[in-house]
Amino acid sequence: MSPRLPLRVQWARSSLPRRFASSSATSPEIYDVVCVGGGPAGLSLLTGLRASAVTSNLKIALIEGQDLQKNRLPQDAQLDRFSNRCSSLTPASVKNLQEIGAWSHANIARIQPYQEMQVWDGVSDARISFDWDSARSMLFPRKPTQPTTIAYMIENVNTTTTLLDRLTELGGVDILSSTKVDTIELGQNTEELDLSSWPILTLSNGRTLAARLLVGADGANSPVRTFAGIPSRGFDYNRHGVVATLRLEGPGRGGLDHKIAYQRFLPTGPIAMLPLPGNLSSLVWSTTPDRATKLKSLSPPDFSAMINAGFRLSPTDLDYLHTLPSGQADEIAWREKHMQVNESSLPMKVIDIQPGTVASFPLKMRHADTYTGDRVALVGDAAHTIHPLAGQGLNQGQGDAAALARTIKSAVETGQDIGSLLALEQYNSERYAENNAMLGVCDKLHRLYSIESGPIVGLRSFGLRAVDSLSPLKSFFMGRAAGV
Amino acid sequence: MASRSSSRAVHAFNRAFEQTSQRPLSKRQETASITALTIRCSSTASQSSAHSQSSVDPSEVSHFNNLAESWWDPHGPSRLLHLMNPLRHTFISRCLSTPFRSPLPQKLQYLDVGCGGGIFAESAARLPSTKSVTAIDPTPEVLKIAEAHRKRDPTLLQPGRLTYLNKSIEELSIPGAEKAKYDVVSLFEVLEHVSTPSSFLEQLMQHVKPGGWLVLSTIARTWTSWMVTNVMAEDVFGIVPKGTHEWSKYVNEEELREWFVKKGWGSDGGMKVMGVVYVPGMGWKEVPGGEGWGNYFFGVRKSA
Repeated sequence: MSPRLPLRVQWARSSLPRRFASSSATSPEIYDVVCVGGGPAGLSLLTGLRASAVTSNLKIALIEGQDLQKNRLPQDAQLDRFSNRCSSLTPASVKNLQEIGAWSHANIARIQPYQEMQVWDGVSDARISFDWDSARSMLFPRKPTQPTTIAYMIENVNTTTTLLDRLTELGGVDILSSTKVDTIELGQNTEELDLSSWPILTLSNGRTLAARLLVGADGANSPVRTFAGIPSRGFDYNRHGVVATLRLEGPGRGGLDHKIAYQRFLPTGPIAMLPLPGNLSSLVWSTTPDRATKLKSLSPPDFSAMINAGFRLSPTDLDYLHTLPSGQADEIAWREKHMQVNESSLPMKVIDIQPGTVASFPLKMRHADTYTGDRVALVGDAAHTIHPLAGQGLNQGQGDAAALARTIKSAVETGQDIGSLLALEQYNSERYAENNAMLGVCDKLHRLYSIESGPIVGLRSFGLRAVDSLSPLKSFFMGRAAGV
Repeated sequence: MASRSSSRAVHAFNRAFEQTSQRPLSKRQETASITALTIRCSSTASQSSAHSQSSVDPSEVSHFNNLAESWWDPHGPSRLLHLMNPLRHTFISRCLSTPFRSPLPQKLQYLDVGCGGGIFAESAARLPSTKSVTAIDPTPEVLKIAEAHRKRDPTLLQPGRLTYLNKSIEELSIPGAEKAKYDVVSLFEVLEHVSTPSSFLEQLMQHVKPGGWLVLSTIARTWTSWMVTNVMAEDVFGIVPKGTHEWSKYVNEEELREWFVKKGWGSDGGMKVMGVVYVPGMGWKEVPGGEGWGNYFFGVRKSA
């Protein structure tokens, strides 16, 4: 393992009195688990540890730079307004949330299960549709007890509030909210105690904590990962994800009880519309940085028209529409009069954009070389960042959290030091290959659909149609997407 | 045969690293044994340093550091033992979960004989169900490793939680009262190195509380050779017809069982066995019947 470097975190506020670099000045508070980052992955891990009798004796601290209470979803949140940061939770993730007792705390009215997925090629129009009925063969029709839900659309703030509510109910975690990590250094070997393998965290509130196991749930630029000297490799896609909360002309083609997710692969990246409760929907449009800037600058009517065009018009038409300074709504209305589209296979039209929800973020692919170091484990985005086209990022983090909780549990049961590399081995081997496969598939899909012409278009269209007509294969893909 | 060669490999590791010194060694033997340990554990350390008796000799300190590092290095030469350690707890739990009329207390007292660098002793001391662990090893060098590593975990420094004693089992005084004895006496990867297993086991048995368990792990083949040369002649002689040499090559866990029955131990289901095998890439796996030919765990209860 590469040597660990003392980390000077850049965000240390200069207004604070200067602290001693050495942690030996004061003896640190000893913790079994210190989790840096109170996002969905970190919260899920700690909730899992608190929910199990085996790990409930561990002394745990959570450090989060933001104010966790302030960022909660209000109890009386209006159902006509939704956050633009949503995720598609798989049944596997939901099952884990149920097992740790969190799911019952969720604001269910704000969660939208969907039962069907329509995916098609923007160049050739080859299409694949997913639902559990068509995924089964005629000989083995779906049993009434089997699930019909492919995944659940949920605002990230709903997920974190749900987990935080459950964690508060369980109690026993020292939650250090609005607290930043100033430094992480290795401890000292003194006469009585050898903390030379223990990460010592100096916090912005003046406390110093020693971590038997330091968990990096601290996002893509993870300071914990930097401290552990674990390299993270990858690249930028030169694409941005444009997000917005959309109001449609109706609840969707299948009504309120049969919601449909749509994704169309365009040469610049996929455009996806994922159902929210009522007439609302969530947009994720991956496109070039220039076009992302352009889309964000449009008036709500022009942007709405561009989204509708993104699901209907040809890539050539879209190229042209992006060059117009404004007036896309009129231009698209004129063009639509002159072309035939089968509206029944398309999402309902966008009629408005929720104010303040249009945003974009750069798309990256990153994967840490390993998820574990001596007394360090990485979960969620600290370990991997994925192209959002399959909506797997948050689910991977939930999978990490569940696996790490299991690993810690079995280490406690057999008296192992939960921070030792040996005890953490199981977590790394369980999650690394799984996440790597998912990162690879999503990356290859992105590359495959970036191609506009030539034999690849024919081949990928053939591939989609072939998969669509083969129930067992489709069932397999759906199982992977659902995480079952 | 793959299983046999892996067993052999394990045995080599065991002999070299976990317990070098459980037999009542003479001074000369002990030095030889430590030297062997030095050579295997640390190619960089000077061999002669092992003979040095001065605790401040810099070369001995460096040798000790090298040894300590490799003992606890998860990818070092003790890796197979580290990987086996969770199974020891699995097996002990299985023994302890057998229902008996007189149950053991909620918090258990352990005696780990031949603790080496403390792989098992540390893990036993961390369990919430543990009251105390006394771990003994007659080799001062390995106990230094154990003591140094214990300092890395504040939990283990709680008073009475884990006590290392630089003693052989013969030197450990036998408590007068039965109640003051141990709930679990463990002997992992030691028996195959003991020159007179029967008298050695008899020593251990005196430290087990009525209703408590003596738990050990060893390897069938090695046990075989010791049995054949020692116990067979002394103890099993009456059970095994004299002259069955072909059969005696494969003396295994059965002989252990019969020996304990003869001692009046392990009646009413108070005897457990678990065969294990190391599968590269998968770790240690339980194999029913594996006790007949490979590594195995053996647990026997002292009647209450």
